[in-house]
Amino acid sequence: MLQVEPLDIRISGGDGRSLVEAVSFQVEEGSVACLIGPSGCGKSSVIKWIAGILPDEMDARGRLLVEGRTVDPRGGLVAAYQPQTDALFPWLTIRENVCLGLEIAGLPRAEAWRKAAPLFEPFGLNGTAHLFPRQLSGGMRQRAAFLRTIVQDRRYILLDEPFSALDAITKLRMQEWLAARLEADPRGVLMVTHDLHEATRMADRVLVMAGRPGRIVADIPIPFPRHRRSETALAPLREELKALLLEDKT
Amino acid sequence: MHRYAPATVLILVLLVLWEAYCRATGVTPLVLPAPSGVIGSLVENAAEIGGHAAATAAIAGMGFAVSVAFAFLTSVALHFAPLLERALVPVFVTSQTIPLVALAPLVILWFGFGVLPKVLLVVLVTFFPILLSLLSGYRQAPRDFLDLVASMGAGRLEQFRRVTLPAARPSFFAGVRISATYAIVAAIFAEYAGARSGIGIYILQAKNNFRADLILAAVTMSAALTLALLGLLRLAERLTDPERKGRRHAAG
Repeated sequence: MLQVEPLDIRISGGDGRSLVEAVSFQVEEGSVACLIGPSGCGKSSVIKWIAGILPDEMDARGRLLVEGRTVDPRGGLVAAYQPQTDALFPWLTIRENVCLGLEIAGLPRAEAWRKAAPLFEPFGLNGTAHLFPRQLSGGMRQRAAFLRTIVQDRRYILLDEPFSALDAITKLRMQEWLAARLEADPRGVLMVTHDLHEATRMADRVLVMAGRPGRIVADIPIPFPRHRRSETALAPLREELKALLLEDKT
Repeated sequence: MHRYAPATVLILVLLVLWEAYCRATGVTPLVLPAPSGVIGSLVENAAEIGGHAAATAAIAGMGFAVSVAFAFLTSVALHFAPLLERALVPVFVTSQTIPLVALAPLVILWFGFGVLPKVLLVVLVTFFPILLSLLSGYRQAPRDFLDLVASMGAGRLEQFRRVTLPAARPSFFAGVRISATYAIVAAIFAEYAGARSGIGIYILQAKNNFRADLILAAVTMSAALTLALLGLLRLAERLTDPERKGRRHAAG
């Protein structure tokens, strides 16, 4: 289990404005938690803190526990992080992009490829290894980015609005695809989004963040298994979430 | 249409107009030789001009290579030491305001008539645009990319190697292309201030002999050298293009 215990994030120096206050939550292994909230409530800062990449101009106080043990986010490498864009390096082939995390972790190039190659087919990326990102469609690029995240073999995955740059149809397809992938290969996922549909479709629990500084105002478990969710069943839940988000006047 | 076609057509048109003007007005070649006369003189004195051009090319090439290496090393140092950047960049900017006409004789005076002062002058002129283009290229590294590799455990040096440096590649080549156009001119200027051979000296001698045709022939040669240097850079850019490398791997 990945646990965040009262986390405060503030701007260091200047007015010392507080961005996030007393944020606590947990993500169980193999489950998907969505962190939802309006823009500017500090969702991305929380995920960046866990990933150990909070900008230097921000100060954080809080505790991160993995399987009950306190870890330092900056050195712990507890979770694989995926930023808002697909962040595929245009100067690298898809193969090189996918193997990037493994190589940085110290795996020799050939070994990294041996590990990543079998996953190209299940990720629908057959024949793309030697192509460059600009030669791929939006959906394929996103799948390549997911493969780069998954292949790092971390128990937890941090996704910062992973579908925000996609068109509506590709987004729907990718959500279904990711849900199926996570069924086949469960990981603890913390996903930041501001899309209610995405949150209720993908998550096992929805953490609602609101206010300035941002706080967790609700932690709502979704009482249906991920693969058996009908739009009718989800509708009241969305209404509840919508009401919570609209309550926030900041 | 080939990308260089419009420029080639324009140059040809200007040359034809120039030739027509000389023939129509009968202006003396001592003042304005026709392009045909310039080409004739160039062909006639090809061996001599070629020898001088080789000397200039050697100085410009050496100075330019030192400049690229020095600019790269300096850019890396400044990237990792922002305080040093804030201290040094204004000094470099100031150095660019010193007119070459004033600097060339001084450098010759301090370092003699050898290769060193001329190479130094080329470095002084070409270093700054390359340095600036590198520093500005480093700043263009996307935040997401840096965050991603940092989350994978990359330290600052590895972030630089994997993201910052490759992201600066287009900016670097833009900078070296700008500098290349200065390199030959700077070498000629240095020779002008004092040298035994080189296009600068050749132009000086031709001027003293009132040979406008030879001056223009030397100018043509200098333009050809600059274009050759730009061509070499274009080739280097193509050869180091990651997509070319990718295609080679795919084929192999």
